[in-house]
Amino acid sequence: MIIFELVAALAIMAGAGFFIAGTVGLVRFPDTFCRLHALTKADGLGLALICLGAALLAGSAGEIARLVLIWLLVALSAATCAHLVARHARADGQAHREDTSQRETRR
Amino acid sequence: MNAINRNGHDHARDDTAQLPVRARARNLYAYASPNPGNGPAQTPPILPVLARSPRERALRRCLRRLLWAVPVTAGLWLVLTGGGPDSLAFGIPAIALAGALAFATTPATRWRIAPVAAFRFAGWFALQSVLGATDVARRAFRLHLALAPGFCRFPTRLPQGAPRIFFANAISLLPGTLSAEIEGASVIVHSLDLRRNTHAELAALEWRVAALFALAPGTQDSVSHTGGAP
Repeated sequence: MIIFELVAALAIMAGAGFFIAGTVGLVRFPDTFCRLHALTKADGLGLALICLGAALLAGSAGEIARLVLIWLLVALSAATCAHLVARHARADGQAHREDTSQRETRR
Repeated sequence: MNAINRNGHDHARDDTAQLPVRARARNLYAYASPNPGNGPAQTPPILPVLARSPRERALRRCLRRLLWAVPVTAGLWLVLTGGGPDSLAFGIPAIALAGALAFATTPATRWRIAPVAAFRFAGWFALQSVLGATDVARRAFRLHLALAPGFCRFPTRLPQGAPRIFFANAISLLPGTLSAEIEGASVIVHSLDLRRNTHAELAALEWRVAALFALAPGTQDSVSHTGGAP
């Protein structure tokens, strides 16, 4: 039992770490497209780890099934959302070069 | 293991490249035509005497979709509500509605999944998405952003519909790549680092998706059927 709790705590902390990494990427990366990389990938793994930790602490099979369902639906939608945002940004003519040059002048 | 598969993929590509164009097309896309030639996707009719009209085939496709949709939506409802008797008052109409929706919307093309390849893909994909997340996290925390972002175009041989959309979505979870647009038969991919060999990684993914959908020529899995789940 104590091992379960330890592993769960580690997984949840690692998941939170990935969420922080995703947010740092969101703030630091130069343009919309790079920011999407940080959001889809880092946050996706962060959620998976938090769901894993919560599932280890869950009391019933129903709770585990709900956690798996949450993870599955978010994972399915994340890639599609990123694709749609990227497509819109491209259609908007949001060239990444403009953004990077802005960033460099700011520094 | 990765390297072996990649080599195998290259080898398979070289083989098909030597075939005449028509033979190559049949090899890869035999499953896609409504009347496949000698492709592995063909199932012998149970009653050969009764030839099926296109209308009948469409109806059967709808029914198969319905048979798949009702248990799945019922399962989702049970998971979400815990299956209490009072929740079924809303659940049964909701399940019926989902079934009707599935009946009304027929998929554009049929596709199926090779079970063994699916397990292999799931394991590989889980590892790749962990690598992708750690890669982007490491880049975010680096003092100097080591990025060389840019777009590249990847022409895919995967057919329109589920395989191509699945491929585009999987790209977004691989290390350093994000699908930005599907233009005809090519995917516009945004890469965090154009210095990487993005094209080879995408080709490896394409091959794995083809195996997952039982499209790759000569894969053992293409024999097994799951009955065309929608």
